[in-house]
Amino acid sequence: MSGRVSGRVASAAFLLLLVALPWISPSYRFLSIAISTGTVAITLYGLAVLFGQAGLMSVGHAALMGVGAYSAAILALRLGIGFWGALPCAMLTAALAAGLIGLPSLRVSGHHFVIITYAFCTLLTIVLTNGGDATGGASGLDLDPVGRLFGVNFDSVRNYYLLVLAALLAAMLATDLIARSGYGRTLRAIRENEALARAVGINTALHKLGAFMLSGAFAGLAGVLQAYYLRHISPGLYGGLPSLYIAMSVMLGGARVLYGPLAGAVIVNFLPEVLSIDPVDSRMAYGAGLVLVILLLPGGVIASLADLGAWAAALARRTAGRWTQLAQGR
Amino acid sequence: MDAAAMAILLQQLVNSLAISAIIIMIGIGITLVFGLTGIINFAQGELLMLGGVATWLLVGRAGVNFFAALVAAAVIVGAVGFLLERSIFRFTLRRPMNGFIISLGLSVFLQHFVIRFWNSYQKSIPDPVGGVWQVGSIRIAAVRVMVVAVTAAAVGFTFFAISRSRHGLALRAAVADQDTARLMGIPVARYVTAVFVYGSALAGLGGALMIALFPITPFVGQDVVVGGFAVALIGGLGNVAGAVVAGLILGFADGLSAGYGLPEWTEAYSFALMILILLVRPQGLLGGTEGPAIV
Repeated sequence: MSGRVSGRVASAAFLLLLVALPWISPSYRFLSIAISTGTVAITLYGLAVLFGQAGLMSVGHAALMGVGAYSAAILALRLGIGFWGALPCAMLTAALAAGLIGLPSLRVSGHHFVIITYAFCTLLTIVLTNGGDATGGASGLDLDPVGRLFGVNFDSVRNYYLLVLAALLAAMLATDLIARSGYGRTLRAIRENEALARAVGINTALHKLGAFMLSGAFAGLAGVLQAYYLRHISPGLYGGLPSLYIAMSVMLGGARVLYGPLAGAVIVNFLPEVLSIDPVDSRMAYGAGLVLVILLLPGGVIASLADLGAWAAALARRTAGRWTQLAQGR
Repeated sequence: MDAAAMAILLQQLVNSLAISAIIIMIGIGITLVFGLTGIINFAQGELLMLGGVATWLLVGRAGVNFFAALVAAAVIVGAVGFLLERSIFRFTLRRPMNGFIISLGLSVFLQHFVIRFWNSYQKSIPDPVGGVWQVGSIRIAAVRVMVVAVTAAAVGFTFFAISRSRHGLALRAAVADQDTARLMGIPVARYVTAVFVYGSALAGLGGALMIALFPITPFVGQDVVVGGFAVALIGGLGNVAGAVVAGLILGFADGLSAGYGLPEWTEAYSFALMILILLVRPQGLLGGTEGPAIV
């Protein structure tokens, strides 16, 4: 029980630190890296719901971010709809795209399906590259700044950081609520034994598609935030390689624990940039790191840390118990 | 169709054959490893890239004869495959999804390993055969004939090894029912290693053939691996003949779309075709195994 309380205190302190970050270290570079890490982390939470709860893996999630980003850009350029209007629309289009990608999962299982998600992702890159004026071809599209809302200027990097942080916290909260809810239990039932889930009356097809679309909405949100932060998007951002990194980050951090995806995003996106590690070296390290994590700590880094903490706490309790016994002279 | 149009069509088909050969080369490696051992190795494309880079180092830097380098590339990549299977994939046989994710990490690692030591620029070697043959109105580059011939030999050998030889029989028995196969004295784990090493060696050979045709970059694996999976899944897992048919279909789609308009959509065809076929016939065009996990 005390472990749970101290865990809560630690989370609260950590979240407070995230909110206070712009006032502690106001370096522009630091905050920019934090923003891009935050947008990726939102996508990772979406994938964590899909993989961690429903057990469906996707190596095409960058494409869903792309659908969100391009929806926002096209809405802004063609219809003059700005950031706030684009946000719900892009989440919707990304969710619909996710539903489309998820459709084959009803027919083909496991690894076949994972490969299909990758093929979809590569297809989208080709479509975006060949889209002509609508998508700006290989050079992509430009976006205007977010502008003001309720008197808050989101063009400042600090305010944009807080916006991304709010979205990230919302994504984490949503992930946590889903995992605790009956819906999460339904998805886990499908993950553990699909045939059995169907036999007890769960509409597995509906829930698999639903999980995919939910996950797509997360990615769409992240895509819009990323697009308005970069203010220039191109097909290369949303191809196969970025998708692989997204899948990799989720696995590295762990998909079934609350802080897992955030840890994955921080390890893969934040640390190498902040520490200015050579990108080639850091990617070699991540590739090798992923291999080791899956072989040795299949639950991800955070779950293993938690296990280590629990083990240390148990050890401490046992030792304390031993001392009490000794003190009582038994 | 007049003679000129006919000649153009034939020319496109001839050109497509060499592309098909490369796709078949990586596809057969994937179909054997995936279909017979259940290991989904996304790094198969990087193994092909390693074969190409090894050939480039041997021919371009050390001045070795291309055909010696071809054999060396297959041996080197086969050895890499042996190390990977023994140290990593062996431990993922019960959980194929873990093996798949590990192979993603591996593919990122191998790409950046090559970039780290030999930069990320395009690498090419001079045409190892040279010369162009004129057959009627069709021009055939000798190097393409060489690529097709080597591929045909490798495919033929693989096909007979699996369908006719004693080892092929044992392998098929292990895939059909590993427990019974083990009771009959078949060393199943060794066959898993052997298939993985053989698939890797084929990827190395494919990489050597690829760099003979066009320049490659350390990222080339990402482009070819989806084609390889498309071939494996379209043809039916573990089905060598199916992989050849699928590779020819994709290669011709590639070549013909390049020759007759919309070349920028070339790559899209193979992906769209793969998604379509997986939806309509999940077992592949010619049927295959379900991708069993032999432990």
